[in-house]
Amino acid sequence: MNKNDVDIFEKLSGQLLSVYEEISLLSKKSPNDAVNKFKLKFVNRLIGASNEYLSEKYRPFDDFEVFDEDDVPQNSDVVFILSQYIQCFEKLRSDNVVVGVGGWYWYVEGEDGDSTDEHGMIKIKTVKPKKLKD
Amino acid sequence: MAEKACHGVGSATQVGLTQALGEQIDENIVELIRPRITDHHGIYKGQADLDFAIQFFDEDIPLYVDPFLLWNSPSQQDQALHTAITNSFNYLNFLSKKGKPELAIDILVSLSECDEVGLGVSKTRKGSKISRAQAQEILNLFRDIPEYSQFGFTHFEIIQLYIQGISKDRISDFSCNYIKSFLIDYTTEQCEINDIPIEGVILDSVYNYQKNALDINQKAYLPVNPVSKEPIIFTPKRWLRFNPWINYEDYFKSHCPRDEVFNPNEPVERVKVLNFNRENYGVVEQYIEYKVKTSVDCKNDPLFSQIPVLSAKRKLADILKLDTGKEDGADMKYEDLSADLMASLFYPHLDFAQTQSRTESGRHIRDLIFYNNRDIDFLDEIFADYDNRQLVIEMKNVKKIDREHINQLNRYLQGGIGRFGIFLTRNPLPKAMFQNTIDLWSSQRKCIIALTDEDLRLMVDVYESKQRAPIEVLKKKYIEFRRSCPS
Repeated sequence: MNKNDVDIFEKLSGQLLSVYEEISLLSKKSPNDAVNKFKLKFVNRLIGASNEYLSEKYRPFDDFEVFDEDDVPQNSDVVFILSQYIQCFEKLRSDNVVVGVGGWYWYVEGEDGDSTDEHGMIKIKTVKPKKLKD
Repeated sequence: MAEKACHGVGSATQVGLTQALGEQIDENIVELIRPRITDHHGIYKGQADLDFAIQFFDEDIPLYVDPFLLWNSPSQQDQALHTAITNSFNYLNFLSKKGKPELAIDILVSLSECDEVGLGVSKTRKGSKISRAQAQEILNLFRDIPEYSQFGFTHFEIIQLYIQGISKDRISDFSCNYIKSFLIDYTTEQCEINDIPIEGVILDSVYNYQKNALDINQKAYLPVNPVSKEPIIFTPKRWLRFNPWINYEDYFKSHCPRDEVFNPNEPVERVKVLNFNRENYGVVEQYIEYKVKTSVDCKNDPLFSQIPVLSAKRKLADILKLDTGKEDGADMKYEDLSADLMASLFYPHLDFAQTQSRTESGRHIRDLIFYNNRDIDFLDEIFADYDNRQLVIEMKNVKKIDREHINQLNRYLQGGIGRFGIFLTRNPLPKAMFQNTIDLWSSQRKCIIALTDEDLRLMVDVYESKQRAPIEVLKKKYIEFRRSCPS
C-alpha cells in the first residue's frame, strides 16, 4: 500500500459509509421496498470500485460482483452488502496501521521525496482500528 | 370534411395494404380474448399512449361522448364542433316551423344510433334507433317551450330532462352523428399515425353541416371490424365520460324540487319529473346555469384508473389474511381482490382485458387476461420468444401448486395467449413443481412462473414508494426462472 492507496481508501470508505447510512434510514422505514434504479446505479459503481480496490484477499464475497438491476434489490439487501464492504475495508485498514506516538498511523510505502524510515515506509495519521476496545 | 377524407386519403395503395395485412392477420383474430383493434393489427400501444379510445370488436366501450366536454374544452376546434352540434340540432326547429316536421323526424331517427363509434353498453355493438313517436316528442319541445322555440338550445343534452327514454347513450349518439364527418377525418388521421389499416367502406349516412341534411351511402376510408367488416370510427378520449355532465340522475338527485313534483307519499315516477320540467323551464334553466358555473370540475373519465395506494395496501392486507383453499369462499375473495390489484399494479405497461372463467377437468379456473403492449424490454421479449400477444395470470388460492395445475395452464398456453403464463398463488412452487416448469421450458420452450404473496407484497411496496415499477417484479421472477433453466 502507498499514499495513493490511502487516499483511495479514504474516498471509497467514506462514500460507502454515507451511502450505507442513507440506505439504512430507508431500510428502517421499509426494509422490503425496492431501491430505485438511480440509487442502484451509484451503489453498483461504488461496489465495483471497491471490488477492484480490495482485491481477492479482502473482498467480502468472491461470487458477488454488483447488484443486478433486474433482481429488484430491496433496501435491506443493499444495507446488508454495504455493511460487509465496510467491514472489509476496516479489516484492510487494521492490517495496515500501527500504533505510534500520539495515536494510530497508516504504515505504508513511501515515495520519492517522502521522509521514509529505514524500511522505506511512511506513517500517515489515522484512527484506531474499530475492533479494538478502549 | 368527410368528402375531403374520402378523396384525400383513400388511395389504392392503402386499400391494397389493408388487404395484404388483413389476409395475414385474420387467422389470429379468434385467438385473442376480448380483441381490440390495435392488438389485432399488431400495434402494441397501450391505451395510455393513444389519443383515442381503443375499440373492442365484440362489444362497446362503456363510455359516452359528452357534448359538454366539447363546450368546456379549451380547444377552439372542440368548441366549434359543439357549436356545430347545437346549431344542427336547433335547425330541427327551423325545419319544423317551415312545415317540414317529417324531414326533421327522419333526421332525428337516423341520427339516434351510431354503431361505428362503439360506445355504450351493447354486448353486440348494435343498437336500435328511436321511434318516430319519440322523435316527434323531441321536436315538440321546440313548440311547447317558448324559450327553445325562440332561441333554441345551448346544451341540447338537456332533452334528457324532458323526454322519457332519452339518456346518455342517445346524447352520445346524436353528438357523434352530427360530427361524424369530423370523426371520420380524425379516425383516418389516427390510423395514419398508428399504422392501422383502413379500407373503403360505405356509411349509411353522414350529416352534412352545410346542407343540414343527411348524405346517404357515403364512401369513406376507415378501419373495419375484421369479423363483421363493419366500419369503425374513433372518438378522442378527452370527450368521454361515464355520465354526461348534464344528466337526469344528477338533476333529480340534487336539483329537482321534489316536494313540488310529488304529493306526499306519492310514488316517485320519472314521467312526472319530465312533465314538471316541461312546465317549469326556469327550474331546468337554473340547473344548467349551475352546471355551467361548476364546469371547471367537468373532466373526462379515464378508460382505466388505477386504485389508490391505500386501497392497494388494504387489498394486499386482505389477501394476506385469507386462508388458502375454498373455506368461506376464500378462493373467490382471493380472485376478486387479486383482479383489482393486478389490473392497477401492471398499468400502464399491461392493459387489463378481462377476468375469464373456465372449467377444465371439473376444476373451476379464473384467469386475468392482459393485452401485451410490449412497451418495456421484458414484455417485448415475451412477445418475441413466447408469442404472447396477451398475457394470462391464473389465480390459485391453494397451499401448493400441484402437477395438475401446471398441466392445466400448460394446455392453455397457446395461440394469442402465448407460451408464457403466470400463476398467482400463495406460496412458492414446491421444488418438484418448480423442476416441472423447468422441464417444460426445456422440452417445449413454455414458461410458467409463480407470483406469490411475497412478490405481491413487494409489488405493492413499490407501487406505494414509486421506487420501481411493479411490472419489474414480474421481470425479476422471469429472470430468476431463466437462470434456473439449462443453458
